[in-house]
Amino acid sequence: MIRRPNQTRTVILLVAPAFVFVLVFFVLPLIFLLSQSVLPEDGGFTLRGYVDFFQSRVSRVVYLRTLKLGLIVTGICVLMSYPAAFVLARMPVRRRSFLMSLVILPLMTNAVARTFAWLIILGRRGMINQTLLSLDLVENPLRFIFTETAIVLGLAQLFLPLMVLPLVSAMENIPNDVLEAARSLGANRLTTFVRIVVPLSSDGLVLGATLVFTGSVTAFVTPAILGGSRLLLMSTLLRQKAVILFDQHAAAVVAVVMILTTLAVNLLLRVLRVQQV
Amino acid sequence: MRSQPLMMLLLAVLVLGLVGPMAVAQDTQTLTVSIWGFNLDVLEENVFAPFEEMHNVDIVLDTGNNSDRLARLQAEGENTDIDVVHFATQFTYLASQEDLLQPYNPDMLENLDEVYDWAQDPLGNQAGVGYTVNSLSLIYRSDLIETEITSWADLLRDDVAGFVSIPEMSTTFGPSTLIMIDRALAMGEMDEGEELGEINYDADMAWEALPQLADNLVTTYIRSSALTTLVQEEEVWVAPYASFAIGNLINTGHDLSTVIPEEGAVGQTNMISITAASDQVELAHAYIDWFISHDVQLAEALDLIDSPVNATVELPEDICALLTCGEMLDTMIVLDQAQVSERLEDWLERWNEVMVR
Repeated sequence: MIRRPNQTRTVILLVAPAFVFVLVFFVLPLIFLLSQSVLPEDGGFTLRGYVDFFQSRVSRVVYLRTLKLGLIVTGICVLMSYPAAFVLARMPVRRRSFLMSLVILPLMTNAVARTFAWLIILGRRGMINQTLLSLDLVENPLRFIFTETAIVLGLAQLFLPLMVLPLVSAMENIPNDVLEAARSLGANRLTTFVRIVVPLSSDGLVLGATLVFTGSVTAFVTPAILGGSRLLLMSTLLRQKAVILFDQHAAAVVAVVMILTTLAVNLLLRVLRVQQV
Repeated sequence: MRSQPLMMLLLAVLVLGLVGPMAVAQDTQTLTVSIWGFNLDVLEENVFAPFEEMHNVDIVLDTGNNSDRLARLQAEGENTDIDVVHFATQFTYLASQEDLLQPYNPDMLENLDEVYDWAQDPLGNQAGVGYTVNSLSLIYRSDLIETEITSWADLLRDDVAGFVSIPEMSTTFGPSTLIMIDRALAMGEMDEGEELGEINYDADMAWEALPQLADNLVTTYIRSSALTTLVQEEEVWVAPYASFAIGNLINTGHDLSTVIPEEGAVGQTNMISITAASDQVELAHAYIDWFISHDVQLAEALDLIDSPVNATVELPEDICALLTCGEMLDTMIVLDQAQVSERLEDWLERWNEVMVR
């Protein structure tokens, strides 16, 4: 297709504001961050910050813990979102809109208030412990908060909508005819879901998984409150380096490791999607 | 062109909206104050509003915690618009080390003579004036803990295991807690009649005991508000607490006892300083002088916000009992922030090592 000069100008005009915004407020700071991680204040180029990071036992434990929690939360969100998104995508528009607004409710509540609500649910005097005690299932309240389980619960609740929304959007585009054709060719419901729905909604899966994973490994408030400050994660380690020790070089290293990790996970998901398709 | 008069009216409103405040601003000076975001309504009534009226000045607030505000000051350097900054001593020390503050002139502070000696110049380089004092001591659930809590070393006791919280090492009172535990452990090793020596800033005994303490912890806390929630939800039975949090802790409604440990409580001043970049030097001094004046110090104390450092302030006993004043001032241990700060990076690494286990 030949594009006329007028069309090209229109495209540039339409894209320019977003491009400039991303360039100034994302790309340039990112370059600055990268340079800060390899160019310490005393001059010269060095990867010493990265070597120090991976040589430190604390950093390694924190990094692997963050990675593990991010993957668990993403896995839980995928498992819970797929069936829900499938049903939502096939609902009449009005009912779907109503249910979608309920799905995004966690994103519309204040992060601190939402997390404190978890504290009350999971606490020694919380709903779960009271129920267990009243049923004589336990003698003393169990400890749920300040554990990795509590962090996973809080993050999964927070980021579930980020998985549901792209999946619903992707599944809306799957024509009913395709599903009916699969059935008429002998595929049962599970086979149809695994062989047809999942591959055709993989764009939504990649987007959702990237959003949930990125959100989980960079979240600060939820892990800080539900995990307590003893369960150090990358975001809390970054805070320590940046605003307690004022070590901008080390903080930049932590930030770049976080960014590269989320990019790597996104890339991995894309590769898996291509192989699947 | 029927809409022309409406457009003119809108334009006039817009112009007046923009120019009006500028016209007022020409007569009124601005003083930008960097301060914590707590109790601003009370501060407005006791401090800011009267000062604005007296000096025909607009106070602009920059709020946040110590580290965030220091980070901003570092980032902006000479270009900062902040004139006056409130910090805990540890952060005033850090800002002073980086030449972000200018020394105050004692001759410009009429009320300075009324301030306790230890608060007049806590860092010894005129980087700022102490305007209130906080103390760190212990609080515990007297209905749940049978044996009285009397010492910092009691945080290591088996009967409180799983119900202890202490300030995170990265907070103002984190290092203080460790130093006091060290002092308590050293006291336990002393022979009868022997006196406790100088503070050991290396806190070797406390570091040795930290893994045991870590096992006793339900979690560490970064903010006093988090401690209040932990106490409220009965997750924590015993913890070091900062005196300014006592009101909220009492409001949890639990049976709480406060105790000044036998090794003493830790005292720390909050300071007001003038930034190196400020050109409102006279006004900034007036602000500091106002903050340490008898009237402001009394008003702040009666509202249970700031414990006074102005020696002329006399408080009713019930108010004094809730603040850092009276006997507490005599037994209070004030730590050398230079000693603490130079160890902080190493301590944070060692702390993380123990806590990630």
